[in-house]
Amino acid sequence: MVVTPDHLTLQPRVIFEYNGSAIIAMAGKECVAIASDLRFGVQLQTLATDHKKVYKIHDQLFLGLSGLASDAETLSQRFKFKHTLYKLREERDIKPSAFAQLVSATLYEKRFGPYFCQPVIAGLEPDGTPYLCGMDSIGAIETAKDFMIAGTASDALLGICESLWRPDMGPEELFEVTAEALLSGQGRDCLAGWGAVVYVITKDQIIARQLKERTV
Amino acid sequence: QIDSISQEGVRNSHICHRCIEKDWRRGEAITGSSASSSTPAVPAMQLDLSMLEPVTRNAKQTQEACLTGISGEGIDAFPLPAVADLDSFEKEVVEYVKPSHGTTTLGFIFQGGVIVAVDSRASQGSYISSQTVKKVIEINPFLLGTMAGGAADCQFWERNLGRQCRLYELNNGKRITVRGASKLLANTMFSYRGMGLSMGTMVAGWDVAGPGLYYVDSDGQRTKGQRFSVGSGSLYAYGVLDAGYSWDMSVEDAVELGQRAIYHATARDAASGGTASVYHVTEAGWTKVRGESVGELHYKYYPDPLVRSSIAVDPLAT
Repeated sequence: MVVTPDHLTLQPRVIFEYNGSAIIAMAGKECVAIASDLRFGVQLQTLATDHKKVYKIHDQLFLGLSGLASDAETLSQRFKFKHTLYKLREERDIKPSAFAQLVSATLYEKRFGPYFCQPVIAGLEPDGTPYLCGMDSIGAIETAKDFMIAGTASDALLGICESLWRPDMGPEELFEVTAEALLSGQGRDCLAGWGAVVYVITKDQIIARQLKERTV
Repeated sequence: QIDSISQEGVRNSHICHRCIEKDWRRGEAITGSSASSSTPAVPAMQLDLSMLEPVTRNAKQTQEACLTGISGEGIDAFPLPAVADLDSFEKEVVEYVKPSHGTTTLGFIFQGGVIVAVDSRASQGSYISSQTVKKVIEINPFLLGTMAGGAADCQFWERNLGRQCRLYELNNGKRITVRGASKLLANTMFSYRGMGLSMGTMVAGWDVAGPGLYYVDSDGQRTKGQRFSVGSGSLYAYGVLDAGYSWDMSVEDAVELGQRAIYHATARDAASGGTASVYHVTEAGWTKVRGESVGELHYKYYPDPLVRSSIAVDPLAT
């Protein structure tokens, strides 16, 4: 049967929609949650359903990277490297606010040939206050007190986050709200889905959970 | 025809138009005497053979109506925009109404009839605009059309096809063949060729010649066949469909094959999803046999988490 090439590919408006992703981070009362979807695909074709976009830097700091998967992997490896060296020199873990500046500088280094990624940073400062920020692909930092989103489902995610978020949520409530928001948001996006992984970071522990997808 | 009725005939206002014509055909003049009698003499057995008589009533007008577009003026009834440079305007406009090609539809003929299976997702770029789109258009109780390509184009032209099929029935006293119906649609598509319509449809049905399946698209292509799949997920559906197909399948197996092929296509193709609907067409017409959500099917087909790759991620691995 003759099928024209048009039918097979999604013409990417921007390189950010080549792989597809959905990332949410939310702040609660002395806790933060960060979550991502699990789909890995090339345009319309799904290649894997176990590819998370959230990386642990240390026990109180997570980095989410949306956008081109190849750049996300490269950047996560670079930041792991930088943090390892930082820890050897400083003999302590990096503060989230300092890490954000590090990420921003790393991205701006490539100002005229950028990484096609949009990071989301979620962590707890040493005194326990939540730290949330997001960046564009050349390192412009935007801190938030409530939530931060990134990825191809960003419009859908913004709406549901605005509705569901409220201040001073405990870890369990925060998990429910983050999970609900992510599943609803990625349910409206072709390129993100196949379940989700949610991390809730508190002073004492990280609670990691995987979510079942509602629909394929 | 009614001019010949006498004054007394007109007084019998309960006589409907059809009754009067029947009398006219049988050669009974409606004179004053017969009209005033309570009932005309009715033979013991009355057979209605009017369908065998040549249709002379408004024949030319309805024949044209069959072939023309909605407004009845001719096939290119839609007015063209009054702009200076039509070609570049058309090129630009085609992009604005860029239709979603995201879909998976399939159809095949086997010993037990025709199976038609579709997904139900509509996408605009990467945004899912709906998960509950009806992609099988029920043209008449014996004809089905599938929808792939532009949603508006498919819905409109297949509903128009339904109108044309109904007119055919009224004019000719018999149901249209699948061959005829697909030809009507293909001709319409050809006449709009190059104007940016996007439609890849399968016309499936059962007529006097048995089961029929035709692929018709907006380029004007019309192909008769035994197995088709259309849409962005069609290649994935073909893999499952071609591997599992055999002419002698039972009806249950055929329905299951259609459903599985759609499920696998929705799993791999990001632009297909929602629910998998399966229709079965036989001599007695079509019936919808399945309509399950593909999410449910995923857990039904692969209940063991260890087999599913989506569970291979270790959430705590960093």
